[in-house]
Amino acid sequence: MSTASDAGPAGAGGTVAGAVIELSHVSKTFASRSASPARALDDVSFRVAAGEVGGISGPAGAGKSTLLAIAAGQLRPSSGSVRIDGIEPRRFVEREGIAYMPQPLALPGGWRVADALTRLAVLSGVRPTYTKHRVEAAMRELGLYDDRRRRVRSLKGDARLRLGLAQAIVADHRVMILDEPLDGMGPESLDRLRELIVRLRAFDRAILIASRDTAELQRLTDRVTLIDRGRTRRPSTPRRATPADVEGVFHITLHHGGEHVLAVFPNAISLGRSTYAVRVAGFGPLNQGLRELLDRGALLAAVTPAHAAVDTNALAVNEVGT
Amino acid sequence: MKGRLTAYAGYQLRDYFVTRALPTLIASGLAAWGLAAARGITLSDLDPAGGIDARDRIQQTFELVLATFAFVAGAAAAHGVVARHRARGYDRLVFSRPVSPVRYYTQGFVLAGIGAVILGAVGTEVYAVAVHPVSLPGVAGYVALAWLLVGGLAFLLSTVTAFYLPILVLVLAADLALDHFAGALSAAGAGAVAAILQFALPPAHVLVTLRGEFARGLAVDPRALAWPAGFGIACIVAAMVLLRRRPFSS
Repeated sequence: MSTASDAGPAGAGGTVAGAVIELSHVSKTFASRSASPARALDDVSFRVAAGEVGGISGPAGAGKSTLLAIAAGQLRPSSGSVRIDGIEPRRFVEREGIAYMPQPLALPGGWRVADALTRLAVLSGVRPTYTKHRVEAAMRELGLYDDRRRRVRSLKGDARLRLGLAQAIVADHRVMILDEPLDGMGPESLDRLRELIVRLRAFDRAILIASRDTAELQRLTDRVTLIDRGRTRRPSTPRRATPADVEGVFHITLHHGGEHVLAVFPNAISLGRSTYAVRVAGFGPLNQGLRELLDRGALLAAVTPAHAAVDTNALAVNEVGT
Repeated sequence: MKGRLTAYAGYQLRDYFVTRALPTLIASGLAAWGLAAARGITLSDLDPAGGIDARDRIQQTFELVLATFAFVAGAAAAHGVVARHRARGYDRLVFSRPVSPVRYYTQGFVLAGIGAVILGAVGTEVYAVAVHPVSLPGVAGYVALAWLLVGGLAFLLSTVTAFYLPILVLVLAADLALDHFAGALSAAGAGAVAAILQFALPPAHVLVTLRGEFARGLAVDPRALAWPAGFGIACIVAAMVLLRRRPFSS
């Protein structure tokens, strides 16, 4: 299996189909009046495709936040090219918006949690009829509902991180960029984050996470790129399949009709809770199989790109019927 | 997905009243008190039953307070809109949403101007009922003109530097001082230089001169309005161009 990311960076203007976030030979130098210019990034390239979760890891001062700010269109690179969906990031953000969690999370301290999320939902373009529901759902998912009347300035550490995540998921954006969401996060919140990433993984969504915690990042993401002092130390290596793969693994969740799954997808693996992992040779066979499943009376609840080698092998013991 | 910036206007107007209205009133109150003290105006001068002289003093005091309020409110309208928003890093979260920084900041500045006019109008109405009748549309128009000139300049400076407030005060004071000493400078043979400098500086002295006409609800010469209004509009346009080119602080 090979992904666009293995093929190396595309040339200028050479956007690869399916690549949502794409940085090519990016360098960034900060001018300084008192000292010599500081080079924060030096010829960094990577790509996060639609349906993928990408990770950037490295020690403090490695250039992760600079890289994410460039990907989010908030900094311009000194050289190299940055594209989201084939266009310049700032243009993409102004057109569609992104779910961005900067580090540190800066919000006016006087705002209350629910008020802050409502404001950001309004700015994100969430329709008025859904705003209250989306805000409440985000607060409940991140365990902030009881803190909804607290002022932002009173939130510290873990709660502040959860607010950062809540504001990122309050709207449905196709690009998600999270800067150090694990830094200072408690075990319970870490579980929430893991579940959140699984839930947010979608065909058309690209998620990019930066963290110093390489081990946890490897659990959360499909690929991790290691950077240090602005340079790529270890190029990204795909750990999981992506929808860009010719052959891919997908999770299918059914409301009912699970008895038809094996007849349509003979290699299906039950993951429990009416969810099945199926390996198909591309989108054509996937859609054909789903159509057949629907024709047989099954009711589809969700389809998401799923794990490849490591996880499906681990789950192989749970095959349907055993 | 398109951001609902128009729907966000209510929050921006609320932010103005919550964070800047009271400081504006306190700051302009203190400044007016200082100016009145310097001119020897006391509370006993504000007796409406004191005859024509007393009414004149009341009117002059009101005009002084109005001019002070208008300058402070104009500067406050731009305060926190761009420079502080950037310095505190709020821009990073807000502009990850599908909104244009130019539109967001300009809308915030315009709404703060509307807030300043409302604040001035409410204060004037209270004064008119309690002390002496004054022209409400005139006061509103004067505050709007001050917002355009002083606020427009502050808006432009705040897109360039975090130290916009001292620079604003310095530039406005330079213009007022130049106007005050214009006669002496002419006599010293530096009249031409002073005139050139005054054209380059914001016409704060024109704004001060116009306070009487506005407060009394008299017709104002459009040519006198054109300079401060044009200067303010030019500043706002320049600020918008700069924001388009450099939407973030870094």
